Amino acid sequence: MALSGIVRAARGRWARPLSCAVPPVGTGDRGHRGHTGVRVYTGHTGDRGHTGVPGIPGDGGHTGVRGHTGHTGDRGHTGATGDRGGPGHTGHTGAPGVAGVAGHTDVPGVPSAPGAPGVPGVPSAPGVPGVAGDTIFALSSAPGRCGVAVIRASGPGSQGALRSLAGPPGLPPPRLLALRSIRDPRTAETLDRGLVVWFPGPHSFTGEDCAELHVHGGPAVISGVLGALGRLPGLRPAEPGEFSLRAFRRGKLDLTAAEGLRDLIGAETEAQRRQALRQLRGELGALYGTWSRALTQALAHIEALIDFSEDDGLGEAVLPRALGAVRALEREIRAHLRDGRRGERLRAGVRAVIAGPPNAGKSSLLNLLCRRPAAIVSPVAGTTRDVLEVPLDIGGFPLLLSDTAGLRDPRDPLEREGVTRARDRLCQADLVLAVLDVTSVSPTPGSLGAALAALQPPPDTPCVLVLNKADLLGGQGVSPSATCAQGHPVTLLSCKTGQGLEALLELLGQQLAQLCGNPLLGSPSLTQTRHSRHLEACATALSRFGDIIGDTGDISGDLAVAAEQLRVARRELGRITGSVGADDILDVIFRDFCVGK
Amino acid sequence: PGHRRASGELGAAAAPRYEVVVIGGGHAGTEAAAAAARGGARTLLLTHRIGTIGEMSCNPSFGGIGKGHLLREVDALDGLCGRVCDRSGVHYKVLNRCKGPAVWGLRAQIDRGLYKENMQKEILSTPLLTVREASVEDLLLTEPEPGRPGKCQVTGVVLGDGSTVCAGSVILTTGTFLRGMIHIGLETHPAGRLGDQPAIGLALTLEKLGFAMGRLKTGTPPRLAKDTIDFSGLEERAADIPPVPFSFLSEAVWIKPEDQLSCYLTRTSLKAQEIIRDNLHLNNHVRETTRGPRYCPSLESKVLRFPDREHQVWLEPEGLESNVIYPQGMSMTLPPELQEQVIKTVPGLEKAKMLQPGYGVQYDFLDPRQLTASLESRLVQHLFLAGQINGTTGYEEAAAQGVIAGINACLRVQGKPPFTVSRTEGYVGVLIDDLTTLGTSEPYRMFTSRVEFRMSLRPDNADARLTLRGFEEAGCVSQQRYEQAVKMRAALDEGIATLKSLQFSISKWSQLLPGVPISSSRRSPASAFDILQYRDVNLEILAKAVPEPLGKLAQWRELAERLKIEAAYEWCVVSQQQEMAEVRHDEALELPDDLDYFAIDASLSAEVREKLDAHRPQTIGAVSRIPGITPAAIVNLLRFVKTNHRKTEKLKAVPQTGECFPGKMYSGKATSQRQISAEFSEEEKKFVKTSS
Repeated sequence: MALSGIVRAARGRWARPLSCAVPPVGTGDRGHRGHTGVRVYTGHTGDRGHTGVPGIPGDGGHTGVRGHTGHTGDRGHTGATGDRGGPGHTGHTGAPGVAGVAGHTDVPGVPSAPGAPGVPGVPSAPGVPGVAGDTIFALSSAPGRCGVAVIRASGPGSQGALRSLAGPPGLPPPRLLALRSIRDPRTAETLDRGLVVWFPGPHSFTGEDCAELHVHGGPAVISGVLGALGRLPGLRPAEPGEFSLRAFRRGKLDLTAAEGLRDLIGAETEAQRRQALRQLRGELGALYGTWSRALTQALAHIEALIDFSEDDGLGEAVLPRALGAVRALEREIRAHLRDGRRGERLRAGVRAVIAGPPNAGKSSLLNLLCRRPAAIVSPVAGTTRDVLEVPLDIGGFPLLLSDTAGLRDPRDPLEREGVTRARDRLCQADLVLAVLDVTSVSPTPGSLGAALAALQPPPDTPCVLVLNKADLLGGQGVSPSATCAQGHPVTLLSCKTGQGLEALLELLGQQLAQLCGNPLLGSPSLTQTRHSRHLEACATALSRFGDIIGDTGDISGDLAVAAEQLRVARRELGRITGSVGADDILDVIFRDFCVGK
Repeated sequence: PGHRRASGELGAAAAPRYEVVVIGGGHAGTEAAAAAARGGARTLLLTHRIGTIGEMSCNPSFGGIGKGHLLREVDALDGLCGRVCDRSGVHYKVLNRCKGPAVWGLRAQIDRGLYKENMQKEILSTPLLTVREASVEDLLLTEPEPGRPGKCQVTGVVLGDGSTVCAGSVILTTGTFLRGMIHIGLETHPAGRLGDQPAIGLALTLEKLGFAMGRLKTGTPPRLAKDTIDFSGLEERAADIPPVPFSFLSEAVWIKPEDQLSCYLTRTSLKAQEIIRDNLHLNNHVRETTRGPRYCPSLESKVLRFPDREHQVWLEPEGLESNVIYPQGMSMTLPPELQEQVIKTVPGLEKAKMLQPGYGVQYDFLDPRQLTASLESRLVQHLFLAGQINGTTGYEEAAAQGVIAGINACLRVQGKPPFTVSRTEGYVGVLIDDLTTLGTSEPYRMFTSRVEFRMSLRPDNADARLTLRGFEEAGCVSQQRYEQAVKMRAALDEGIATLKSLQFSISKWSQLLPGVPISSSRRSPASAFDILQYRDVNLEILAKAVPEPLGKLAQWRELAERLKIEAAYEWCVVSQQQEMAEVRHDEALELPDDLDYFAIDASLSAEVREKLDAHRPQTIGAVSRIPGITPAAIVNLLRFVKTNHRKTEKLKAVPQTGECFPGKMYSGKATSQRQISAEFSEEEKKFVKTSS
């Protein structure tokens, strides 16, 4: 895409609506005098039409319905997908994206709590939808591969996030698109080159400080950027509908929208809710449901100890029993989370890193696998100095393949930096492709193992040993051992002739299948970052409960504080399964105990 | 009685006039009357008998877990019952002592006679408050004020003798007296309380006005003669020494710690179960389907639901000089002779003499969803309701509503904005929000588990939460109390600042406090406030280690205790703050009172419309707590309200005429009756019908 320098983000003047079924909403900046005197939100963030049409002011995508209009290769941003309707402890999340805020695809819809959206008694987690406070982010363009993906952040941390990912040279001027390298602040790795926009509050979609990153729509880039944002302190993935909710709270969604729009959005949200419901009706839903009941019961029993301490209807064993249940639940959730990582990789792509000594042919392997000269190759050792990442699809599995600098102790400071990055990347690898020059090692398991160990791959990470330059063996039938000393598979390859490629692909396919888990078989695995985040928080709270109660099972700490941890845990789980109210807790208490006098 | 409007033909001109008239002299009524008078309103309290003001109709105790919190909040608003309890108790005990100060339950056994005497003294000496013995038969009504919900407005009351009293606001606190019916065995007779007449005329009036009503039941145990009980084999529970007072104003309670009486614990046997089971056919109350409280169950229902086990019975003194024992846990409605049989099966009570049988009461209550958060009726302007009439149970629940109703009745007359307490501010806020948003299908009792922000809403800090607001916004708090609260708040702020500024390394702290296992993994340096969080640390210990500047903090005992609690809960409170802000924000998004959910042009399902109409939520916060309301519905509703707000305002400004004439007046009835019936089970629907 031809993106250059700072382009004027089109605003203030609005193109005709596309032929969406949705009428335009608001009228740009002038819409700010919406008839109730509250600002119409559409003015700023809908500026999506930057692709390929730099510098055309007043154009591009301002249909008022936030439809993506100018994206090259953008397939079907529907313009009015709406935030995913979701449950919400306070029942107010899941505000549908009123003007067609593109769905937050990293937070696929979670069903509305059927029958119980946000009942009191179980307050929401700290750090979930806030009036101010924390900063949320999400992919706000449509899911799937697309030309340009828009990642949006809202909240006080947006500015810092923009600086971290897209600085230097600092913040772009407000509401103007700027072309920037987008880096992971932790690794300094460039994730993409893309357009960034800074919308200081209140002149933004949500009314808060907002930042948008318009990046190439590949899954690797998107997950890279989302991951980088998620690691910034104070940032967290948005709950379903949270952007709209925030916008609403700041009076930004005061729409004089026509009938059709309201109905459309209502339908959209309902459809999302149903879809999410179906999703949770499966095995995963059943599993969460079991946890939900177990946790509700444990919480109810602790609440009974607090509210009915005078009664003897409770019995001695209530606390130890609750503690046992909580510990078991925590173990189960943690085990599930470990298991669940497989599912997450499926979305983000397995991170495979090509590592090896200099000049073993790592970049050649990358080029071979991606069928193009993505990396510069030369006979000079140390040619590759930075990490190069290519998303690939092997056997139907997404793969993020990184080529790294050869691992040696270089004198050149530039190359040394390259090696540092290579090591860093190696540590994050899900799969290591260790490339060795076949002529430099003896093909016995022991020496292959030693050569692999020299590369220091992360422990417990699957590796594939690729013995490159098979063409140099000259017809001599050297058949290396099928596995190295550590048990990793070994394969023979010639990047030059392509000999052995099929075997390698098959091997990779097997590894990937194992890493990703077979999506059609097996136990339900986590596919959503959001779910695992809430489960993680739930497990953490459960473990704090255990810490407070202590091993003895008597109350070594403040029972009210301990109960609070269970409430937090219940709330976190409730963000997936729907919340539980005070009356549900009381129901359990009166069902299980003879209390009251 | 027919409806009379204050149109002059009844000679209203000659009628006495008060700014606030309170009907009922129970726990809600006394607090309401006193609060209105404290706020500056000329107030009249009407009761059947002045002698029953301050009567404790059921248990001889005040407070408990959750209820103690309410009592503290009533006191923080300068209510009476905390102070009166501090002058009338015979056994003070803080429950949940070992479970954390956030859930401490201040409780006391109260001398019934003393309580009544002290309460009457308070009431009869409250400036601006007049007390009169009279029954109220009807309400005086007139056209509604424009721009507010309500089909009419109340302007006074009609008394039993046919005379009238004019009023700016009227507060109904009739407790169980609305068509109260007492059940003992198969016998029933109309009464609000044993020996007192029920209010039937008023019930008819309310019904005709279109109030949705339901029926609830409750019960009370028999009373026993103390001198016929053998306490020797029973488990004794002694009172706290020193006793903790309820009121922020009390330095100590009236009784000498060592003069306090004890309670005794005994248990029912399987023999009692047998008698109960064999005689269920003689027990109308238990067989009836009207909802009773699950948490204050009769012995009969305990035996039926949890058979083959012992059930505990607390033997509680009814007073210092009293020979009456209240057997808590033995609420029964069997015929009296069978009650006696059951009693004699209980260890220690083999020879006990029954002074008065237990009985059940069934009574009407008004669906509290017809009230605003200030406890004003949405049907009848200037009419406030508080206490059991709203479906609650318990003295403390009644008193808490009474204070809020009294304050608001007064503010309403003065033309000032209402005083409401948020869920984030107090248990009373949770109580009223639960009632007015969700309604209730059984007598509602306060529990700490109903409260989201339990770590923040503690008994120790009720004054910080409510006293200042009560003084500034409601005018119901005395200057003295206000000053005391301000002083305490300043001392706390200063104390916390001092503690936080005192920082040492972890090793230094370990040195200073050798007996305390200070975790070496802690962030160093740590402040004295951090160290105070340790369970084994208190200000006295800290002050010994660092006399300057902590010595003076430790000297003020109450301050030292409160600082310790502040430190212990700091992290919990901080982590809840954002969420509290969020709840407050949603509570501030008000919905128009007069929305016709069936007619509004918003994308809402029929089911959602019905729920909204039944609950009449006042804020978006309330909407979000109604079960079954989808997030999409909330946003659609909000959008509708925001875009139509102006229009609505304009409509409201158009003077409405003829709104209160009978045809219109009762038009809402069918709907509201249907709504409440829908909430009830099949049997109760019948009950509602037959009772109306």
